[in-house]
Amino acid sequence: MRGYTGKLLRVNLSKRESKVEDVPEQLMKDFLGGRGLAVKYLYSELKPGVDPLGPDNKLLFMMGPLGATTAMSVSRLAVVTKSPLTGCIAKSVAGGNFGAFLKFAGFDGIILEGKAEKPTYIHIDSNGVHILDAVGIWGLDTEETQSKLRQTHGNSTKTICIGPAGEKLVRYAIVISDRRCGGRGGVGTVMGAKKLKAIAVNSSGPLGVYDPQQFKDLSKEQIEGLRTSPRRIQMTDFGTSYLTLGFEKMGIFPVKNFQEGHLEGVENIGDEALAKIKIKNDGCWGCMTKCGQVRKITEGPYVGAISEGPDYETIWSLGGNLANTDQGALITADSICDKLGMDTIGAGNAIGFACELFERGIITKKDTDGLDLSWGNHGDMIKLLDKIGRREGFGELLGEGTKRAAERIGKGAEAYAMHVKGSEIPAYEPRAVKGYGLIFATSNVGANHMYGRPREELAGKADRFAEEGKGKDIARNQIMQAVEDSIVQCSFTPATGFTPESRAKFLVAATGFNEFSDPAYLDLIGERILCLERSFNVREGFNRKDDTLPARMRTEPLKNAGPATGQVIRNLDKLLDEYYDALGYSHQGIPTEEKLRQIGLEWVIEDIKKFIS
Amino acid sequence: MSVRVKLPSVLQELSCGTETCEVTGHTVGECIKSLEMRFPDIRNHLFDRQGKLLRIFGIYLKSDGIRPVDLDTPVQDDDEIIILSFIMGG
Repeated sequence: MRGYTGKLLRVNLSKRESKVEDVPEQLMKDFLGGRGLAVKYLYSELKPGVDPLGPDNKLLFMMGPLGATTAMSVSRLAVVTKSPLTGCIAKSVAGGNFGAFLKFAGFDGIILEGKAEKPTYIHIDSNGVHILDAVGIWGLDTEETQSKLRQTHGNSTKTICIGPAGEKLVRYAIVISDRRCGGRGGVGTVMGAKKLKAIAVNSSGPLGVYDPQQFKDLSKEQIEGLRTSPRRIQMTDFGTSYLTLGFEKMGIFPVKNFQEGHLEGVENIGDEALAKIKIKNDGCWGCMTKCGQVRKITEGPYVGAISEGPDYETIWSLGGNLANTDQGALITADSICDKLGMDTIGAGNAIGFACELFERGIITKKDTDGLDLSWGNHGDMIKLLDKIGRREGFGELLGEGTKRAAERIGKGAEAYAMHVKGSEIPAYEPRAVKGYGLIFATSNVGANHMYGRPREELAGKADRFAEEGKGKDIARNQIMQAVEDSIVQCSFTPATGFTPESRAKFLVAATGFNEFSDPAYLDLIGERILCLERSFNVREGFNRKDDTLPARMRTEPLKNAGPATGQVIRNLDKLLDEYYDALGYSHQGIPTEEKLRQIGLEWVIEDIKKFIS
Repeated sequence: MSVRVKLPSVLQELSCGTETCEVTGHTVGECIKSLEMRFPDIRNHLFDRQGKLLRIFGIYLKSDGIRPVDLDTPVQDDDEIIILSFIMGG
């Protein structure tokens, strides 16, 4: 076996047992790896209706066939579970360094099941798999946890862990490796519910590939291309922060909880301004782009604050979305989220929701523990972030996510909760790029910026304001994302420099599976994964009624958003029909028997039969 | 100097679908100004409120090889200015 290790580690935390299993070769060919393989295992092993925070839920970490090799930007880790935020399937993809070393240790992935009686962590080394007491690290933040585990097991220890937010079951808690996280869907919450603080590994490479000479030649070619690539250089110099000012001008950058599209003072958190406080680059194992921008505040009330980031998403969530243009507050807030272990998109969106309720008088200081949640009041915003991460006072409520918080608050608060299926909407105004609207509405993990991108609209090849003719493109982009997440490659194209052809050559050279040389074969895998995720949700009772957007996007013309001013999504139904048609789903959003047979998922028919008619 | 400017797809919606335009100028900046004379909306998209080039775009000069350039870089007859779009999801 090459490219893959062919082995999975299964750990039952209730029984404190572990075992090693073979991965059938056909599964690799049918689902590729990463997200695809994890979704297949989760679908097959989880009964519908399982409590996401109960012992019957499972949490899977899965690498791809190119991971831990010399190929650039492909050593990422897919994390899959049933989401405590949405009740749907959750997938998140983490960078960092843990995944590569998990593979060096001999595993393509880990399946976690059950629930530990007391705080626990797992240590993997050449002597085996050890399930250990985590009392000494429970309660520590994510930096302290990783540091403590390096002290215990040696400096070369690589870790994936949760912070206090995961322990306290904040519904958008993350897992983090080094400074990179699997951020969305509450994957860290599930780990916390299992009372698993961390997984640490000590191992070393290299990993064999099927055709070493061909692989070496391809790697050399990839590195040479990346070395001079303008797009790669741009990512290294600025990370994704370079998008902020351009997107704000295009009306894509949501402001004040999606109320408008213009941010006064946005230059303070734009690329040039943030470049002035950059101290170094950082990045994932096996990536020469190193897009992480480590920044430090050297003056003012937040002096000393350091974070790797914020990236574009976080510049939005803890910046523009809250009308916060203070660099120090932004870096501090980003750092708090990373250390406490919570999703910056979820947390920033939840605070934006609270700020709008405060503005409208639906909540007052009596509800917020005395915090003044006026737009841009970053001091109190930071206090609230800390409260969320520790589930204290008003933070306990916001830690439930905007959907549940709005239901508990009542008084019309639901109208200001910007989520789809319970997942907070990320940094793209759906009314300004309507393909994003369709992606967020149909995503099987709820609103998510990593569930396909409207590439044609962002590139100017399709009209971003049109409300027809998008279904095929969006379906295709979601399929492409499923393939990327299953390889598991970085979704920043500039970091891999892959063309479909070069990527196919890498896959064949790594695995020896000639099927992977055919782009149509990879597309079929992507479509299969997307359809299996949808079937998972259908089994849980989801259908077309859940493929929607907040009323704001469908009824309120976008304000103050440059060329996107006045835009509103009036005909989501037409877009949904196009999308379902493109994928062979019924207009109820459910895969048809014919489609399931066509893409090799006939074994799913029985499960969702009652929902098809 | 007479040079060509090649536009990325995202800007072609402002140039009536034109991909390559003939412009004049002694520097890259003058050539871009010449481009703006024909298609005024392009300025709004290329530059921020302070007049700096937005980093969702990069300007490259195809002269003797292709290289990134500043607005004050001189151009020669028959050079080609290439504007690249770095727009993607973050």
